[in-house]
Amino acid sequence: MSADRAIVERWVERVLQSYPAQTLPFLRGEQDPFRNPVGHTLRESLTILAGELMGKMDRQRIAQALDAIIRMRAVQDFGPSDAVRFVFDLRTAIREWGGAVPDSLESRIDELALLAFDHYMGCREQIFALRINELRLKARYAASEEGETP
Amino acid sequence: MQETLIQIEPKPPRGDWRDPHVEFRKGSMCYSAAPKNLTYLGLPNPRVWQPTDSDWKLPPDWKKTILAGMKERLDKFRSFRLFMDVCVRCGACADKCHFYLGTADPKNMPVARAELIRSVYRRYFTLSGRIFGSLAGGRELTEDVIKEWYYYFYQCTQCRRCSVFCPYGIDTAEITLLGRELLTLIGCNINWVMEPVANCYRTGNHLGIQPHGFKDSIDFAADEASEITGLKIEMPINRKGAEILFVMPSADYFATPHYYTLLGYMMLFHEIGLDYTVSAYASEGGNFGSFASHELMKRLNAKIYDEAKRLGVKWILGGECGHMWRVLHQYMDTMNGPADFLEVPVSPVTGTVFENARSTRMVHICEFTADLIHHGKLRLDRGRNDHWNVTYHDSCNPARGMGLLEEPRYILNHVARRFHEMPENTIREQTFCCGSGAGLGTDENLEIRLRGGFPRANAVKYVKEKYGVNLLTCICAIDKATLPTLLEYWVPGVEVGGVHELVGNALVMTGEKERTTDLRGEALATESVLASGESEARHA
Repeated sequence: MSADRAIVERWVERVLQSYPAQTLPFLRGEQDPFRNPVGHTLRESLTILAGELMGKMDRQRIAQALDAIIRMRAVQDFGPSDAVRFVFDLRTAIREWGGAVPDSLESRIDELALLAFDHYMGCREQIFALRINELRLKARYAASEEGETP
Repeated sequence: MQETLIQIEPKPPRGDWRDPHVEFRKGSMCYSAAPKNLTYLGLPNPRVWQPTDSDWKLPPDWKKTILAGMKERLDKFRSFRLFMDVCVRCGACADKCHFYLGTADPKNMPVARAELIRSVYRRYFTLSGRIFGSLAGGRELTEDVIKEWYYYFYQCTQCRRCSVFCPYGIDTAEITLLGRELLTLIGCNINWVMEPVANCYRTGNHLGIQPHGFKDSIDFAADEASEITGLKIEMPINRKGAEILFVMPSADYFATPHYYTLLGYMMLFHEIGLDYTVSAYASEGGNFGSFASHELMKRLNAKIYDEAKRLGVKWILGGECGHMWRVLHQYMDTMNGPADFLEVPVSPVTGTVFENARSTRMVHICEFTADLIHHGKLRLDRGRNDHWNVTYHDSCNPARGMGLLEEPRYILNHVARRFHEMPENTIREQTFCCGSGAGLGTDENLEIRLRGGFPRANAVKYVKEKYGVNLLTCICAIDKATLPTLLEYWVPGVEVGGVHELVGNALVMTGEKERTTDLRGEALATESVLASGESEARHA
């Protein structure tokens, strides 16, 4: 296994550890992307993010991968810090593998964390906007039909 | 050097699953039922409370009530006792629940959710449990267990995907229904179930629209259908002596995108000259009672046969509704039948006898329309749907509750040229729920809905990226109400519509004016999107 691959595997594993123990074997083991959307999204997105952080830093690819993972964690049982914490897990994954985190990567990880925060806030704001929209629709239907409750 | 700034333990506590404590958090729970709704329905313990309160104001003898209620149901429903006894915890259902897949919460594994009630059954109703308690898998019934039931039984949409995979055929939807039924005995209900039930009971539909409001809505839609086609289209209401009673979900006449499906029905019925009526009394197909108890389900469902009898129709046709069809297919006949005052449904256009409806005397609109198309009775211009690249979401109840798999696809393939299936393990009997059924589709519960709907959205995203799909069709009112929000979050750019909306678009009507827009008022595609003019349909 290449060094990059090994680091990604460790990163994925650390992020998976943020889910309940009884769920881990499934999230880790099930390969079908439709049967295991959470595990698949994590693995796919983290692989892309690691590749870009250690490579070209393609902004668009990073934004897409980050969005997929944050969008999911923004509605799961995580507080804001836990939802974006996975970014910093990359440092630990590199150290666990036995390497040192180069200075250039350090700043890239920090930048990714800030981006993750932006995406997280964007998702949360969208959730509130969607909720308001549903309430508005409900009120409109009720008003237009003069619906009354018993 | 290890980071020390952020001291967050990444691993959640790995507690015993038998610990019933749950954390109620806004955004991931449903509000409690308002007392006025319980009072209206004559249900116990109406009071002001919320799940986040520490004191749920349970009645003093709540424990006795729950255990007596369990005993009564164990004696009454053979299925309940069987489901409690027969599970071998093989885990085949475990990873099939959309809530489990979306939340990764182990108590959302159907086996674990059922175990919440099964452990109480063992403790109080089996010899080994009474003697050995927790050693035999039993659990004491405490207030925390009631709160846990409330939390998890209102995180199940009764979609029955897990049941497809259970080697014993355990129907977890039944277990959820019974769990909710027990909670109803002590007044632990959610408002988004009880308010619609109270409204349905009072006025016939879940928003509480009164007969004059119902007529206004129907007339408004008829005017719009007339304007689009240049024909005089009407939808008769409460007309005695009509051949057919048509029952649809109430959302079809007050919500979008449902409304476009209503226009589709009207145009279809006008074109074939159907002798039919709708009813202001049975103006709701959806059965919110089925989300709370068998008794409430029966009370609401009875209206359909009662009205069919009063109006003197021969048989009943039902619209694009989800739960209506599960209730109809699995319970109606024995619950409120036999409908021996009706005739076996026969299509007045094709002469087809709907043998499958010999007992209930009620036919699904997709069966009816597919039969019309099969016999060449409709002129259809598929090009009018060229602006849509379509996929089909098997709504849980018509698909798993009554086996309606082929008819909607048959229709779609005749009314649209671009149709693509989602991956095999996400459609037909394995379809993923919208995550908002069974009373969970309310705004305060949005985060749970987004989690539960993730597996479905994930498959939609796949066909959007692979084929450019821009319309998700379905035949359930709850789908149509909740999937737009879900897709806006997970897969922006994909809209939601009904099968009969596309039928209405494609239907070439006798004497109609030239159509320049679809039923949504959007311009039709000016040039064919398909060079060869041939159908482009593939399986993912």
